[in-house]
Amino acid sequence: MRVPVAGVTRAVCLCAVVGAVGLLPWLSGRDPALTVLRARSAEQEPTRQALDAIRGALGLDAGPLALLGSWLRGLLRGDLGTSWVSGHEVLPSVGAGLQVSLALMGAALGVTVLLAAVLLAPVLACGRGAAGAGAAMLAAVPEFLLATVALLVCGVWLGLLPTSGWEGPRNMVLPALALGIPAGGLLGRLVADALPAALDERWAELWRGAGVGRARIAAAGLKRVLPPLVPQFGMVVVGLTGGAVAVETVFAVPGIGRTALGAAKSQDLPMLQGAVLALLLLGLVTGALAALVRRRPLGPALRDAGLSLPPPRPVRVHPAVPLSLAAVLLTAVGWGLLRDPYAVNTVARLAAPSWEHPLGTDGLGRDMLARLGYGAAATVGTAAAVCLLSLLVGLALGFLPGVAAGAADIANALPPVIVGILVAAVSGPGVGGAALTVALISWPPLAAHAAALVQEVRASAHLTAQRGIGATPLWILTRHVLPSVAAPVGRHALLRLPGIALAMASLGFLGLGAQPPAPEWGLLLDESRAYVERAPWAALSPALALTLLAALAVSAGAVRGAGNATRGKAHAHGKEGSSHGEDPPREGSPRRCLT
Amino acid sequence: MSPSPLLDVRELVVRYGDFTAVDRVSFTLDAGETLALNGPSGCGKSSIALAIPQLRRPHSGEVLFEGRDLTELSERELRPLRPRMQLVFQDPYGSLSPRHRIRDAVAEPLKVQGRWNSADGPLRVAALLERVGLDPSYGDRLPHELSGGQCQRAGIARALASEPRLLILDEPVSALDPSVRAGVLNLLADLQDDLGLGYLFICHDPAVVRHFAHRVLEMRDGRLSAP
Repeated sequence: MRVPVAGVTRAVCLCAVVGAVGLLPWLSGRDPALTVLRARSAEQEPTRQALDAIRGALGLDAGPLALLGSWLRGLLRGDLGTSWVSGHEVLPSVGAGLQVSLALMGAALGVTVLLAAVLLAPVLACGRGAAGAGAAMLAAVPEFLLATVALLVCGVWLGLLPTSGWEGPRNMVLPALALGIPAGGLLGRLVADALPAALDERWAELWRGAGVGRARIAAAGLKRVLPPLVPQFGMVVVGLTGGAVAVETVFAVPGIGRTALGAAKSQDLPMLQGAVLALLLLGLVTGALAALVRRRPLGPALRDAGLSLPPPRPVRVHPAVPLSLAAVLLTAVGWGLLRDPYAVNTVARLAAPSWEHPLGTDGLGRDMLARLGYGAAATVGTAAAVCLLSLLVGLALGFLPGVAAGAADIANALPPVIVGILVAAVSGPGVGGAALTVALISWPPLAAHAAALVQEVRASAHLTAQRGIGATPLWILTRHVLPSVAAPVGRHALLRLPGIALAMASLGFLGLGAQPPAPEWGLLLDESRAYVERAPWAALSPALALTLLAALAVSAGAVRGAGNATRGKAHAHGKEGSSHGEDPPREGSPRRCLT
Repeated sequence: MSPSPLLDVRELVVRYGDFTAVDRVSFTLDAGETLALNGPSGCGKSSIALAIPQLRRPHSGEVLFEGRDLTELSERELRPLRPRMQLVFQDPYGSLSPRHRIRDAVAEPLKVQGRWNSADGPLRVAALLERVGLDPSYGDRLPHELSGGQCQRAGIARALASEPRLLILDEPVSALDPSVRAGVLNLLADLQDDLGLGYLFICHDPAVVRHFAHRVLEMRDGRLSAP
């Protein structure tokens, strides 16, 4: 019963996404004719006739269905239309961008695999051990932050490598590193979490007892662990398409991600449609490839038995780590809140840290510490609202596991940045749109956790007893099921707060979230990027704050094993009472670092 | 004893997909009588326990309770009838919500069935706890703060709160220590003498069955076998 429901939901969601892309010009609501007029001829007055002429030429007055129809017909003929801004055909630009992006992603994939191998080496050599903590940290650092720091250190201070453009292999190094390191960390962590448990299984004991060499056992362990993780590797690659947007923007690489972002900002909707479609296609092809690859080593085992891994042994972190990180952040934020984030002082522009300005000043002479403090306060408020929204969605869908599975597949296959671009194209960039974006993609792990708990509670004898005493379904739901599900899922949602704040920051960095002069952290980093050579501290303090936030996200999740990718329903029916509601969240997907 | 039996099960069939767990099982049970269903695990005993109050809908057959065929009733029509047949489960801890105090668990049937009022409700709960041999002060505790035997007594108290005619006892003492078993079995025997309850006693321990049941049915692979 569950598979068809998930399949139908998947198809419906996919159609909805493609439909939303096709309807962008109509959904965006604002008048694109004005944008086009401004872009084409700056001196022409925006008279009614001129605007009407443009509307007629673009087909905007035909209504949404006709618009979607003509776009789809063009799509079938391989015609993506012409750019509103440049007047050029969309398809060649998309093709050129795709080529660049594919090369970049290929290089990044190389970095990913290399890094994962380095992270796994100690685990494989010793048979057990914890590569998890470092890998998890690397996985949590968002690409935009890593790209900015790489730009600052390697490009500007050391002057080793070119920091912008796309001329030769030397241009590729920094972007590929920035893109590949978080993905490599994620990949390494997934395998490192699963491997020790697999190497403790009976067969490994037996092989050791029989005198089989370490290398062969390690190889067999890898073979055992990799196939079930392939779908998640597919998602890592999909994540690269999202990360590419930030990295290409920072390093001025003319790839498809930057094209999409630029088109979204300039309201060039045909170009945006083409670029987003290309990115979606890239994600879908990757997902299909992953499914194929997975079928190959497993074959019938997949169909017949549903091969699953033993529950992974995630790295546990002492609660003192996240607590002290939170304390450091709170201190800085509290101090900053006592100051004025908007006071412009052009005399003290880009001042170095001093007693008067502990973190220096930005390009307008505003106090960085104050801006960090106020930015945090605003971000935490928004992130809390997003958290609550995704908690509600997750709880609701937890009761409909079939629907949730299909929708979660699509939500997982969509890089957050692309959702952010679409939302920004529809509603204009802003905090509300960014919050909606993050809420749209952050519910699947919560829904998976809720679904597992619902299943566990429903299977318990005391619910049967409730029906036995004549209780109505509503009574059972409100008195028994919801209370035992809502509390643990709520705690889980709370642990995701730093990750959500980080996602908001990455959208802010790309100009898709909070708008200047709001002191949002991602925006702070973006604004200071222009001055990195003269005033590196202005970029370093938001970068440091974001790194602390990433560390907080990782360590908060690891305290109780929350947020770790687990598979199967191995211990869904643990001993009632003791295990009740304390299971680690089960997810269908690795936690992406939300860029 | 009334002329028609308390429970009359005819040709009951329970299926899970293609698997037939219970295959054409028929038996009757009178008020005040203990009928034991004895058999190895997996033979379909617990499926019968769930199929009688229609908590698991049988594939075919009839379940006549006090003369009415339950298989023909809708979920809504069953709701007022179900309190008259109560289940006691094997796992004493699993059958009580780990989040609710014993007092609330015992009071819940009264609230669900609209028989609760704040004046004498607490007194009735205390009386029920005392009736099953628990000090009313245990009402403040959570299930995991009780022993297995105490928990099972609380489960019986909750079942009694619905004022049932029939108790379906699904291996009520299998999970308990031998020393505690006798106490719970004696309690059940006392309750039967006082209240005239019919017991469907599901068990896989022949020694317990022999001492406790009036009649024994042997079950194997979903069918009743000749004793």
